[in-house]
Amino acid sequence: MNKFILGAISALTLSAGAALAEYPEKEIQGIIQWGAGGSTDTVMRSVTPHAEEALGGTIVMQNMTGGVGAIALNHVADSDADGYTLLMGAENPLLYKVMGLGDKDYSDFTPISILARGTPMLVANVDAPFNDYAEMMAYIKENPGEVRFGATGPGGLPSVVTGMITSVEGGLDVISVPYDGDGPALTALQGGAIDVMPAVLGAAIEGIRAGNMKPLAVFDVEANAKLPDVPAVTSFNDGYSTYLPWGPFFGVFVANGTPDDVVAKLGAAYAEGAKNDEFIKLMDDRGFTMMGISGQEAQDFLTKWQQGTTWLLQDAGLTKASPEDFGIARPGE
Amino acid sequence: MDQIDPDHHDGTSDATPGGVEAKRRPGELGFAIFLLLASLGLLWSAYGISGFEALSAPGTVPMATTAVMVVTALIVVVKTARLPRISGETFSRDILPVVVLVFAAFLVAFGVALEPLGFLPTAALFLIAAIKILARRSWLWTLAVSLCSLALIWLIFRIVFTVLMPAGIVPEAEFIQFFRNLFSGAGE
Amino acid sequence: MTALWDFLTVFTQPQLLLLVGLGTFAGVYVGAIPGLSVTMAVSILISFTFSWDVYPAISLMIGIYMGGVYGGSRTAILLNIPGAPSAIATALDGYPLAKRGEAGQAIGVTTVMSFIGGFVGIGVLALAAPLVSDFALRFQPRDYMLLAVLGILLVGSLSQGSLVKGIFAGALGIAIGAVGRDPLTFTERFTFDLQIMTGGVSFIAVMIGMFGVSEALLQLHHVDKDAVRQKITRIVPSLSTVRKHLPLSLQTSTIGVVIGALPGTGGDIAALMAYDHAKRVTKNPERAFGDGAMEGLVAPETANNAAVGGAFIPMMTLGIPGDAVTAIMIGALFIHGLNPGPMLMIDQPDMFWFIVGALVTANIFMLIFGLTGIRLFTKIVEMPRSVLIPLIMLLSIVGAYAVNNSLTDVYWMLGFGVFGYFMRHYGYPLGPVILGVILSRLLDDNWRRAIISEREDFWRFMGGVVSSPLSLTLLIAVILIFVSQTPLWSRGKARLFRKKES
Repeated sequence: MNKFILGAISALTLSAGAALAEYPEKEIQGIIQWGAGGSTDTVMRSVTPHAEEALGGTIVMQNMTGGVGAIALNHVADSDADGYTLLMGAENPLLYKVMGLGDKDYSDFTPISILARGTPMLVANVDAPFNDYAEMMAYIKENPGEVRFGATGPGGLPSVVTGMITSVEGGLDVISVPYDGDGPALTALQGGAIDVMPAVLGAAIEGIRAGNMKPLAVFDVEANAKLPDVPAVTSFNDGYSTYLPWGPFFGVFVANGTPDDVVAKLGAAYAEGAKNDEFIKLMDDRGFTMMGISGQEAQDFLTKWQQGTTWLLQDAGLTKASPEDFGIARPGE
Repeated sequence: MDQIDPDHHDGTSDATPGGVEAKRRPGELGFAIFLLLASLGLLWSAYGISGFEALSAPGTVPMATTAVMVVTALIVVVKTARLPRISGETFSRDILPVVVLVFAAFLVAFGVALEPLGFLPTAALFLIAAIKILARRSWLWTLAVSLCSLALIWLIFRIVFTVLMPAGIVPEAEFIQFFRNLFSGAGE
Repeated sequence: MTALWDFLTVFTQPQLLLLVGLGTFAGVYVGAIPGLSVTMAVSILISFTFSWDVYPAISLMIGIYMGGVYGGSRTAILLNIPGAPSAIATALDGYPLAKRGEAGQAIGVTTVMSFIGGFVGIGVLALAAPLVSDFALRFQPRDYMLLAVLGILLVGSLSQGSLVKGIFAGALGIAIGAVGRDPLTFTERFTFDLQIMTGGVSFIAVMIGMFGVSEALLQLHHVDKDAVRQKITRIVPSLSTVRKHLPLSLQTSTIGVVIGALPGTGGDIAALMAYDHAKRVTKNPERAFGDGAMEGLVAPETANNAAVGGAFIPMMTLGIPGDAVTAIMIGALFIHGLNPGPMLMIDQPDMFWFIVGALVTANIFMLIFGLTGIRLFTKIVEMPRSVLIPLIMLLSIVGAYAVNNSLTDVYWMLGFGVFGYFMRHYGYPLGPVILGVILSRLLDDNWRRAIISEREDFWRFMGGVVSSPLSLTLLIAVILIFVSQTPLWSRGKARLFRKKES
């Protein structure tokens, strides 16, 4: 069986290799894992035109939503590994296996470029009876089971952040109200339907600037240049240093088995695209940290991210299956 | 206009549903029983989602709605069974005539062939066959009308809206790239 | 004064004026073709206008948006196939008019009413945006849930045939909306362990199947009958017609603005609610509802165009999208280097007034393009059915695929097409199915959020409802409308009136 797959892959590589001199000789499909208007969509639509220029080809982007992004992931995984179908996704597929959401993740893919990383933070409704992280924790201790936290489903950024808080503080007795994305949840936060929301900095920054929500802490080892007055969570509790820095990321992927020179060509194009000044400014305005890594470096980043996050969720009791079952080693082991 | 003309009870408007009041149309009882059984199946499936776990469980609203479906479907079955059969209608003539069956088969065939064969050949075959059967005009006319309209639809969806229908056996992307190269070549 | 200047930007720059016009023109056709949606068009425009300045890009998008919302009514009236979900209610009375050969008149009224609705929406946006967005933010999950219940009660007015069958259809719609992975906990629902089911059923696919394919299958019954000749002499409605419907159109526009401004509800729900409202307040329509009542066109068309202005309200004041299209526009602003959010109105007030100006322009263009070129559209219905039917089927397939680039949606669409065909034959109304699918998530998600927020305590939940004026008002509305639809009410009313007479 394995031999057959190897044979098939090499045959594909050969046939693709024959025509390779010209890659890209036709337009490339870019499958965006999330809906139009979301942050993955915006990031991909703003970097890809620059990458197209560097590549000298056309990339047609399409949104394919559903199944928490698994529909798009499976679509690209099932397409020919010829470099004409790209997956434009975010971090969450790395959690599919332990969350019981699918049997594929980025280990079935080759990273073209990990573009940028976001920084999580805690924001609160302006009328909330606490003004920073320490006050919030004290308030939760006094009023167990009353504070409403926004969530975005198992494996979403809020679940990882609350998992971290649970592990570091030894418990977090709050109501977790699920929303289908951080946009709707932050809207609810401003309307007072929830009290606290763990969100990516870029999504909350404008609301904070306008005074419509108040920042409690940045989930990083140091304060963020975009919000210098908001303390890092490690300044309240050093226990967080074990897990941080951590953040969601955006990346472009192709299915495993794609010819190396195609991967190299695409990687170079996206690396070039990510260097564009407009794109850098745009990402900076939203508080994203540029990464622009590819190849082995990106692979290592993905492995480390998956190990850290899945085990964190496992220890917080939030997973459906242990990372061990999928051969994901505990970090440091 | 209480008595609906048998040639007109087609229900082409949603506002005037095609059912006949106080009469049972051929197959109506069978359809109602089918809906009842399907509703029961869905209720069972909804129960399987999360059972009676909590008010906020993912299965709560599905269970409530499928329960409503079961109850209403049951009422419909009982009511329909009591109605007298309508006279002068047969299932094969008024509900499912041959032409509808043929087209339903065409649509199924379209769905099956779309992926392996690709959009352009499938759609062309469908349009030519359908228009030929319905219009019964010359092959030339049929080909002209169907291919022109297909070209128009393809241009709008594929080129303007970049909807990537399955390409199948037609090397669409290479074809477009060829024109794009010509175009950009001319522009440079 | 600068505000006025920003407002006039579009009018003073021929290039922008041209782009808005072009966008509106294209929008009418995008809206009219089922399966081509404004959302799609606008997200493609993001890449297309990537290297442009922000004003021209936004001009084009706004034109498409305005034109597209209006364009959905065209195919609804002419073919009984709503071009967009917000035109479902328009089909109910528009198509009967086309069957009488009065499509021209129907389109004329629709256009003028969309124009009026559009203006009310823009007016509210320009004058009271902060006020309305404050109000919209106040909606809690329980209020959204009550709003969804209110919407579900529309089943009564959408099922002309049998109410029991209507309720069945509505419940079926809610169940269809629940298929796939639940967006809150990712639990699989009604998926029967099939991979292709986890993505759920796109409600556009359901709509295209039930309205498009089933309609085409029904038309097969009389392929050889000649198409209805359409009278297109009197398109522009007389002033007295407009004046007669003005009070209603203002009421339904208000419904449109508010529903449009709520993040999470849009023009589709607004149009259906407005239709229901019209049915309730119109005492003696010239023609019965469902038979070609003008009020049945006025209400949904004013409401869905008013919802456009409404959707911009939270977008401009808070950076929160009012619907899917404004969500993409926020992305577009962001790509063009602006920071959409609550500070936008303070940092860049010119953007706000520019958008208002562009909307006004688009609305005027919509009126112009709406009242001209009707001849071309009516030609479509006068096409021989032998060509029209296969084309509708093909467009339905392409359209269903285009929604999410998914073959699964095509299969769903075909399945619901055949199912809808039988439903029509046996007198099951289709409107409630679509209503159910549209409202399914609104109801389910918000019910669960609301009850989770109260720690699963039903009485605490009810306590929350009665202690909030907004929730209480909605609850009372739900109860009143529910009671008014039950036989008890009509019996009680009859008794009351008899007493008065004696």
